[in-house]
Amino acid sequence: MTRTALVLGLLAALCHPAAAQSGDAKAELARLKPKDFPSQPIEFTVVYPAGGGMDVAARLLAKHVEQASGDRIIVNNRTGGAGMVGHAYLATQAKPDGYTVGVLANLMWGDAMLRAQGRWAYTDLEPIAYVNTDALTWVGPTEGPYKGMSLKQIVQAAKDKPGTIRVATVPGSMWDYIIEQIEANSGAKFLRVPFQGGGAGIAALVGGNVDLAQGFYSEFRGYLDANKVAPLAVAATSRMDFLKDMPTFNETLGGNEYTWQVIRFAVVPKGTPADRKAYLAASVRAAMHDPELVAEYKKTGAFFDPKLANSSDLAKDLGDYAEAERAFYQKTGRLK
Amino acid sequence: MEALSNLAAGFGVILTPQNLYFCFLGSLIGTLVGVLPGLGPLAAMALLLPVTFTLTPVAGMVMLASIFYGAMYGGSTTSVLLNIPGEAASVVTCIDGHQMARQGRAGAALGIAAIGSFLAGTVGIIVMTFCAPAISAIAIRFGPPENFGLMVLGLVCTLYMITGSPLKGALMIALGFLGAAIGIDVVNGKERFTFGSINLTGGLDLLAVVIGLFGVTEVLANVERLVHGSLLTGRIRNLWPTLDDWRASWRPIVRGSGLGFILGLVPGGGPVTASFMSYALEKRLSDTPQRFGKGAIEGVAGPESANNAAVAGSMIPILSLGIPGNPVTALLLGALIIQGIQPGPLFMTQRPDLFWAIVASMYVGNLFLLVLNLPLVGLWAQLLRVPYHILFPVVLLLCVVGTYSANKNVFDLWVMLGFGVAGYVLRKLEYDLAPFVIAFVLAPLMEQSLRQALVMSPDGAMILLQRPITAVLLAVSAVLVALMFRRQSTHRGGDL
Repeated sequence: MTRTALVLGLLAALCHPAAAQSGDAKAELARLKPKDFPSQPIEFTVVYPAGGGMDVAARLLAKHVEQASGDRIIVNNRTGGAGMVGHAYLATQAKPDGYTVGVLANLMWGDAMLRAQGRWAYTDLEPIAYVNTDALTWVGPTEGPYKGMSLKQIVQAAKDKPGTIRVATVPGSMWDYIIEQIEANSGAKFLRVPFQGGGAGIAALVGGNVDLAQGFYSEFRGYLDANKVAPLAVAATSRMDFLKDMPTFNETLGGNEYTWQVIRFAVVPKGTPADRKAYLAASVRAAMHDPELVAEYKKTGAFFDPKLANSSDLAKDLGDYAEAERAFYQKTGRLK
Repeated sequence: MEALSNLAAGFGVILTPQNLYFCFLGSLIGTLVGVLPGLGPLAAMALLLPVTFTLTPVAGMVMLASIFYGAMYGGSTTSVLLNIPGEAASVVTCIDGHQMARQGRAGAALGIAAIGSFLAGTVGIIVMTFCAPAISAIAIRFGPPENFGLMVLGLVCTLYMITGSPLKGALMIALGFLGAAIGIDVVNGKERFTFGSINLTGGLDLLAVVIGLFGVTEVLANVERLVHGSLLTGRIRNLWPTLDDWRASWRPIVRGSGLGFILGLVPGGGPVTASFMSYALEKRLSDTPQRFGKGAIEGVAGPESANNAAVAGSMIPILSLGIPGNPVTALLLGALIIQGIQPGPLFMTQRPDLFWAIVASMYVGNLFLLVLNLPLVGLWAQLLRVPYHILFPVVLLLCVVGTYSANKNVFDLWVMLGFGVAGYVLRKLEYDLAPFVIAFVLAPLMEQSLRQALVMSPDGAMILLQRPITAVLLAVSAVLVALMFRRQSTHRGGDL
């Protein structure tokens, strides 16, 4: 089996179309390449199972990094504990030798702040490049009593009849936090039905088992096209290019705190040699400049946060987001 | 008929040398990982996922899907020959399949497993061909209360699987529930029984538990038999099931096909649950339930059919709704998304070429697998000639590789070893391991669906009676429990 994979892999490598590369990125890569690195394949660690949103993003990235740098990349899913096992592995066990790159999301911050029990901190993982962002979106039904209502009307309804509108959530995560914010600011009260992920909640909405669901564009796009769900609002700072009619939470409900998104980026364990770190960062950035990869990401519903995409100090800019999250945890009593 | 012309178009796509090649390759790989204990379809598919990026969407999906159902064919082989399940959906096949092998009827067991798999797989695909849209419309209505009803029914079926002491069986079910409680609470997100260990936050890994309880335990038990010189050295008498075998098997195959298909549709269900429930069903319906566990061919025919039908069933939510019901179909979903294809309600109408090509490939793949597996039965049986001092270390190695490859977490190996030793001790004390596993599989789904149902209900537990499907499922479960107690009391009366 492994041998078949190897043969197929070789065949695949031979058939690859030549990567469309801007000369600049290639030149920068050549200039930054350390003499003795890499001498073996580089692992892209993904802390969620194969086939999920994070895995898809990492595998697309790996494919284009291979094209850009010519280095061999292996995507490895180190799963367990909803990402906790993989995050702890990257922060405490992985060797900082440049052969381990974590392709992960800002959900790591919540793990570090709330669940790591001081064994590691998010600063143990140093960001090297920004990948993309997915914003949490609320969708409603296309039939039944809440059909055609705007988010504002639904929130009002949840205030008039507290605890009757069923909303799908994923416990202990941003799915929960945004409901909390809305409830705290409006006095509304939702009935939270817990699910293991966004997709399961959206299926429950289509099946009439909940009244509202939350998820990412790639999770509900199929149902949106079939007119089975109605987009209500997105928890981003601006509207989505592909859903211009859908307002942001901040527009509909007022305020500026409704920003809940999955920010994906690449990290290396703290202590990775500076020259290797710079080379890895350049190779991920080179891949991110490939219009083909950008188009593939857009197809999955991801977008690019200009602040992070053009950042000159990624660690600081991501750190700002992380500290905003910490402030939320402190305000809500989750963190002392 | 529209479905037929669509299917014909699907065959048009699939019957090209390239697509046939990948269908065959997937079937072969699937059979191999099915046969090898420890390695399962998930590991093989994850490994080959990057390869599919460079293939056409049709070739890539056809290959991945054929690995999935191919593994269901291969899985029974080691169950029958070595009493070690090739993968989780073949755990239950060990019970009677291996007893058959010990009686020199390994050929009949393997033959009926392959033919049953083929028939059930094909029936499942035929239903899928004609009814996919209608079925998906019903499947999406299945909410938490309905899922809970189904899980209760599954658990009640487990009671029928208990052989020997009912008290010990009930204890194993309770332990299964306890083991499944480890990890993050599905409702409030808090940790339970993790004792501060990061590795326990995700709960015990099913694969590690199954491989430990069945693979490692069996190796340990065989080492003991080796010492005592009572190992199976049987000859394979005849490859083909006899007329009597057929007479006993056709009903289990039909029932297994139906049951497996339905369970495949349900989120969290799938081949593993289907095989267990089919076994329990056959034992319940049999006039001679005492033969079960002693080499009853129905106990092989039913579950092996059910797990294949479940594969066909589980393809419907993924292809017509974009909802993955288990980790394997989640991987198929990811493979489609990487190809830039969004599965969902419109997938069938927007990409009929791909949908029907996958359906057509499943007909072809099942045929490949039948042709591949029947002649191979003789070859696999030669495995028994490999000296045990070589075979068992290799099996143990495969257990380690298979467990590690799933999550790449060394902790899972300790779980596997721990359950291996515990399983050995429990077996010595005559505790059944199968009820533990089925309770361990069902408990999280049952807990989650019950708590979801109660949360979303305005009238508390009444929701379970207000929803018609749930009420029927619970009523059937209650009847089954009542019947079992009656049977036991009459048995006891007879003993006196």
